[in-house]
Amino acid sequence: MSKLSERIAAFTERHPTLYKCFLLAENAFKKPVFRCQDCGQCVLSYNAFTCCMRCPKQLRNGPCGGTREDGHCEVYPDRHCIWWLIYERSKKLGRVSKLQKYHIPVDRRLEHTSAWMNMFAGRILPLDLGSKFDEAKEAKKDEAVAAIRKQNPKPPIK
Amino acid sequence: MISGSRLERLLREGKFVVCGEMSPPQGADKASILKKCEYFRGFVDAVNLTDNQTAIVRMSSVMSSVFALEGGVEPIMQMTCRDRNRLAQQSDILGAYAAGVRNILCLTGDYQSFGNHPDAKAVFDLDSIQLINMVSGMNSGRFLSGEEMKSPPAMFIGGAANPFGEPFEMRIIRLGKKIRAGAHFIQTQPVFDLPRFQKWMSAVRDEGYDKQVYILAGVMPVRSVKALLYMKEEVPGVRIADEYIKRMESAQDPKEEGVAMCVEIMKQLMEIPGVSGIHIMPVMWESITPRLVEEAGLLPRPEPAPLEDPAKTEVSESAL
Repeated sequence: MSKLSERIAAFTERHPTLYKCFLLAENAFKKPVFRCQDCGQCVLSYNAFTCCMRCPKQLRNGPCGGTREDGHCEVYPDRHCIWWLIYERSKKLGRVSKLQKYHIPVDRRLEHTSAWMNMFAGRILPLDLGSKFDEAKEAKKDEAVAAIRKQNPKPPIK
Repeated sequence: MISGSRLERLLREGKFVVCGEMSPPQGADKASILKKCEYFRGFVDAVNLTDNQTAIVRMSSVMSSVFALEGGVEPIMQMTCRDRNRLAQQSDILGAYAAGVRNILCLTGDYQSFGNHPDAKAVFDLDSIQLINMVSGMNSGRFLSGEEMKSPPAMFIGGAANPFGEPFEMRIIRLGKKIRAGAHFIQTQPVFDLPRFQKWMSAVRDEGYDKQVYILAGVMPVRSVKALLYMKEEVPGVRIADEYIKRMESAQDPKEEGVAMCVEIMKQLMEIPGVSGIHIMPVMWESITPRLVEEAGLLPRPEPAPLEDPAKTEVSESAL
C-alpha cells in the first residue's frame, strides 16, 4: 500500500470516533453482503468474494477432507461447503488460479478491527502476492518454503 | 535427509513402504499400546498414532508415540488443529522430538460435533497447511513468530489428501499447497474406489507432484458390510464403489472377504505409478495387519541403510 493510504489509516486510527464510524459503515456493507465474520484480514478477493471464515473450521487454504459428494458440509449437512461454493464461483468468474495462494495463519489480534484500515496500514498482505506462487511452482521446494516465510506480515501496531 | 527416520530413509532409498495405524486407548493404559505394537513390529515401517480421531478423547498422540517407540515401532505422530493453538502445537512438537519422535502427520482434524464432547470449543487456530508450514519453519530453526530457536527439531513432515472429496480440482490445488508449505509425504484416505483414485493419481502426475512428495495410498480392511455401509453413509468424503458392498453382502465369511478385498486393493495400488507406499488403517482391528502385509507380498520389510555422514545428506535433500 502507498504512503497515502498509510497516512489515511494512521489518521483514522488516531480518532476513535471516526474509526468507529468507519467500522460501522464497513460492517454495514460487508456483513449482509458477504456474511463477513470479522477476521480483520480480508481474503475475499482470492476466494471469489465468498468469505471462507464461514467454514466451521475457519479454513483459509481450501476445503477439509469432509466435503460430501453433493458439495455439502460435513458438519452441517444442510449447508453447502463454503469451499465448494468458493470453487464453483471461482470457476464461473475465471479466478481458479487465485486459489493457489497460500494464506498465512490468521493474526488473531486483528479480529473485530477494520480490515480496510488494516489493509491501508499495510498490516495485512498486499493483494498481489499470489502471482509469486506460480513462479515458485517450478522452483526448488526449499526456495518456495523460504518465499512463504518472507510473506509473514509485520506485527500490527496497535 | 531431514529427520533420518526409518520411514524417510526407506522412502529416499526408493523402497515401497508400508505404514500402519493405531488408536491410542480410551484410558490411561500403556500396556495396550505395547501389546498393539506387536502387531506392527517387523510388519510395517512406521505406525500412525492418531490424535483424538473422530473427536473422541483418547490418550495423547504425543505420549502414545513415545510408548510406541518403547514398543519397538517407529511412530508417525498425528497432530490436529482442533484441540491446540499454535503455542501448544509447537511445544508438543519440541517435546515429541526430544523424546525421539521423528515423523509427524499434520491434519486439520474432525469437527468436535462428531465425537464425545460436541460441546467443546473448536480451536482451529491454524489449518493443516499452515501447520505443515510451521513445522517446516521449526525444522529450519524458527518458531512461527519468526524467533530463532537454539536446538531445532528435524521432523519428517506428512500431510493428508482426500482423492475422493469434492471438488476434485480443489484437491489437487490443496495438495500443491501442502507440498509448497513443506510436506515430505502424503497419506490418502482409504481407497474403495480405484477408478477415482487412478484419476486423482494421473492428475497428481500431470502436475509432477509425485516427484516432489512421497504418496502413500490408504487402505482399510473391513469386517462386515455394516462397517462399509456406515462409512458410505456417515463418514463424509469417503467414496465406496458398489462392487465392494455387493461382494461383502454376498460373502459367506465377511471377515475373510474383507481381508481378500483389502489385499486385492493393495496389490492394485502397488501397480499405480507414483505411489510410494501403502498406509493401512485397520480401525480397531490392528491384529489383522501382519496378515494383510504378508498376503500382499510385502514381507519381509526392508532394512534401511544406516544414516550417512551428515555432510553428505545435503546432496540427497536437494535431489527431491
